[in-house]
Amino acid sequence: MENTAAKLCGVSYIYSEKTPFEKVAVDGVDVTLEEGMVTGLIGHTGSGKSTVAQMLNGLLRPTSGEVYVLGRNIWENPKDIRRVRFEAGLVFQYPEYQLFEETVARDIAFGPRNMGLPEEEISSRVAEAMAFVGLDASLSEKSPFDLSGGQKRRVALAGVMAMQPKILILDEPAAGLDPRGRDEILSGVVRYKERTGATVVMISHSMEDMARYCDRILVMNDGKPYLYGTPEVVFSEAERLEKVGLSVPQITRLMAELRRRGYPVSASVYTVEAALAEIRKLTGGDRA
Amino acid sequence: MIRDITLGQFFPGHSLLHRADPRIKIILSILYIVLVFLADSVSGYLFLVLFTALLIAISGIPVSTLVKSLKPLLFIVLFTSVINVFWNREGELLVSFWKIAIYTGGVFTAVFMTVRIMMLLLGTGVILTYTTSPIALTDAMERLLSPLKVLHIPVHDFAMMMTIALRFIPTLLEETDKIMNAQKARGADFSTGSLGQRAKALIPVLIPLFISAFRRADELAVAMESRCYRGGKGRTRMTSLHLHALDFVLLFGLALAGAGIVLCNRFVPIYAI
Repeated sequence: MENTAAKLCGVSYIYSEKTPFEKVAVDGVDVTLEEGMVTGLIGHTGSGKSTVAQMLNGLLRPTSGEVYVLGRNIWENPKDIRRVRFEAGLVFQYPEYQLFEETVARDIAFGPRNMGLPEEEISSRVAEAMAFVGLDASLSEKSPFDLSGGQKRRVALAGVMAMQPKILILDEPAAGLDPRGRDEILSGVVRYKERTGATVVMISHSMEDMARYCDRILVMNDGKPYLYGTPEVVFSEAERLEKVGLSVPQITRLMAELRRRGYPVSASVYTVEAALAEIRKLTGGDRA
Repeated sequence: MIRDITLGQFFPGHSLLHRADPRIKIILSILYIVLVFLADSVSGYLFLVLFTALLIAISGIPVSTLVKSLKPLLFIVLFTSVINVFWNREGELLVSFWKIAIYTGGVFTAVFMTVRIMMLLLGTGVILTYTTSPIALTDAMERLLSPLKVLHIPVHDFAMMMTIALRFIPTLLEETDKIMNAQKARGADFSTGSLGQRAKALIPVLIPLFISAFRRADELAVAMESRCYRGGKGRTRMTSLHLHALDFVLLFGLALAGAGIVLCNRFVPIYAI
């Protein structure tokens, strides 16, 4: 139990129960999130990923089943649910639309202030969070609405990081960003994880991001867990992934094609770097 | 959750009332309101209640949903009842103690008012709002009001504004929900504290909401213009409305009910106001 950050036990969630709009979003999920790991959550639209994310920090109360965060059943005392939100910080999709304060620094301070921290602690956390996401300190007095899309997103991310959650949950953190913005956001997440040793849960549609950043991958389909394991395990099931409309990273497909054409490369390659190493081995290592 | 607020009350279904022409349903609900005010005796009211029950049965809307919709009315109903019971001095004296006296007239008026308000809400609800999609509703209003075009009243533009407003209510509610959740995830607390504190807690929700509403308005305007929208002139429709036998049957049914209430008032005036 001691290396478990969060756990879902037989959790189900039904939207608009007992109306014509009733929809089972999550159906009997048992998942354990290991401490200090980056767990990727993938699945088709409507597979229940976002619902799982919102149940992990107590925004949604499961229709049935139990949610444990840091070893505690979070719905044991519903009045205490705010504490869970500081322990398991959730960054929503397109979080830049939640910015509201006059300055970047004050917006980032919203979370820590709600925690009731002293002012000095708040300002040191704000500065720290801005450093995590790579925002220059000179931006702190600017209006968040004057920033670029990628910068806004980083401000929003910093707003959750400033609460220093032990579990950081991100719902498609890189959606709609250009490749550079994407790298900036995701490397911010990695920096936060390395500094604080936090557990990270990341929802994404990009197999490449999953392969690059995740230690564990959970594939969801139709509200149920479909595959779970290390990227090696999950991406070796290319056929099962394709069955639910997902795929393996492009580079893995490339390597499979190379193998098919008779080159002796490894089949379990999921990142461009690993592929490069494989191909270098093939060419004798002097070029490329 | 905020999504439970029913603004557009539309409840999808395939009942006779769902299938009727929305223009006729608007007329029906106006007639129904007249009907409610026609009733002024116990028997008339009984007839009205039975007729409304029949409408509810036809509509197939679950009673629990309807009961829920009555909840916000509780206060008004209680308030008018209390006023009537204590201040209406007609009829015979029922109870009196200290300075308070309750008369039969007060009790009857209170009961009648309560029934009247409830029937108004339920009847127009099942005839119109629960069984007609908001889009069909504005469409029907545009048609019914189109004679006003002669007076240079921009009926189409009003209808379009209504349609857009209705169309965006669920979107904005969803957005509000999302923003509230996002701020809750940062520890915002909307449900405790004094009234002032709670109002202040809404600022982090309202600012992003306004910004996104303006953004959406902008995007929609561009999208409409890029599809050459230029008001109602010369605009045709994908679905045009036609009257069917069912619509005349419903009208006839309501007329019959009106006659029934008048007859009840006239021949069985158990307690007429």
